[in-house]
Amino acid sequence: MTLSDTIAGLLGLNADDPLHFFVAAILASAIVGTFMLVNVAIAGPWAKRKITAAFTDRIAVNRIGPFGLMVIVADAVRLLSKELIVPEKVDRPAWDLAPLLIAGSALLGFAVIPMGNGIQVADPEVGLAYVFAVASLASVGLVMAGYASNNKYSMLGGLRAVAQNLAYEIPLVLTGVSVVLFAGTLQLGNVDAANTIVGAQQATLATIGGIAIPSWYAFVNPFAFVLFLVANLAEVGRNPFDTPEAPTEIVAGYQTEYSSVYFVLMYLGEFIHIFLGGAIVATIFLGGPAGPVLPGIVWFLIKIWAVFLFTQWARSALPRVRIDQLIEIGWKGMLVLSFANLILTAIIVGVVV
Amino acid sequence: MGNPWIAIGALALVGLLIPVGMMVISKLLRPSVPEQGKRSTYESGEVPTGDTRIRFNIQYYMVALLFVIFDIETVLIFPWTVIYRSALENGVGLTRVLAPMLVFVGILVVGLGWAWRNGAVKWVRSPRAEKRKDAR
Repeated sequence: MTLSDTIAGLLGLNADDPLHFFVAAILASAIVGTFMLVNVAIAGPWAKRKITAAFTDRIAVNRIGPFGLMVIVADAVRLLSKELIVPEKVDRPAWDLAPLLIAGSALLGFAVIPMGNGIQVADPEVGLAYVFAVASLASVGLVMAGYASNNKYSMLGGLRAVAQNLAYEIPLVLTGVSVVLFAGTLQLGNVDAANTIVGAQQATLATIGGIAIPSWYAFVNPFAFVLFLVANLAEVGRNPFDTPEAPTEIVAGYQTEYSSVYFVLMYLGEFIHIFLGGAIVATIFLGGPAGPVLPGIVWFLIKIWAVFLFTQWARSALPRVRIDQLIEIGWKGMLVLSFANLILTAIIVGVVV
Repeated sequence: MGNPWIAIGALALVGLLIPVGMMVISKLLRPSVPEQGKRSTYESGEVPTGDTRIRFNIQYYMVALLFVIFDIETVLIFPWTVIYRSALENGVGLTRVLAPMLVFVGILVVGLGWAWRNGAVKWVRSPRAEKRKDAR
């Protein structure tokens, strides 16, 4: 039962009628979209600063509201009311479409993510393939932004972004599908649906001291989990793989020439993307929105924020790799390892079944 | 149960309306003081020289070519992973489900090794950069 169906039922709409179902789905999408935007609003202007400050022994925002939380409102108003400067000879409309594409495509991935307590907009049979497909749409937006800005830093940033995403897309997807070898389906499903990726992870793997350990794929195949986390860091462009933005080398990469609301959208898109990466990790490796005692939605939040915290930790603690090192890590290291992981997983499944 | 793709279409619409809504709000809030000086692109404070659409490193093209090959490969791996377990459970032998995929991946790994040896995934340096390295 997805959220769209539940809302259709509550409003007395017929879910089999496309128009009725579309109305219900719009409401469900608005709920999920707003929910993710609230997360991003807390993460972007506030949590990111606080976390980095804690790592570097500073205090960061603490003037407006309790714990400086009202800085979120202040920053939103400040950024939206900035003048939009359109640089000379930018390639419109590509320059205007890029922020829309980056922010929009990142939200699109959340359509199939189960968030617990029946919060899931849709549950198609090819959920995993779909989520990988839309997660990589952002690369197109980055190239558009870099190429259309008529700025040499942006151009370099756009090229680096696409080279990086190409290098890490294949290890990411290959590691992701190694999970499908266990589950035997691409449907993400939900906790109570047995023949789905999330449902299959609820079975008991082992019992230690009376506590049942669920067969989350992070426990079943820890090697794939680590590989996926690293590839995911590169996919969302966070340290040590933030070469496309590299503030000390190429100013801000593809977003150098963006100001005002366009900058907000680029920034927003990046953060939604980090959370989407976290949601994919949680869904296919950490048992989705499942956990003891607390309700599913809370566990989902804990898991995606844990992945966000991990990216911010990496950002504070690790030096950035150069673009040539990045290409070599991707094509020579990660790709070979992900092939090894896929073959090993296939052999393990073959022996066990 | 409604068609899930209708729901995804609805989310696509919402995902488009949110950024557009923010653009409209910003349009209402922000000032507009057009002036020639601030419209020049940023080039570390200097006056921008030349065009942006210049020649760039051939490496970006090489990795893009490699990507096309391996991305098509992942598309072909997807259906195999889906049927793998149920084929085994229904009594198809391990060699019959695994061996063809091992051959397929093996051929591509040989290809990757060839590209590796030819330097397709090694960063190309311009002759000028090489000369500067030698001089140091």
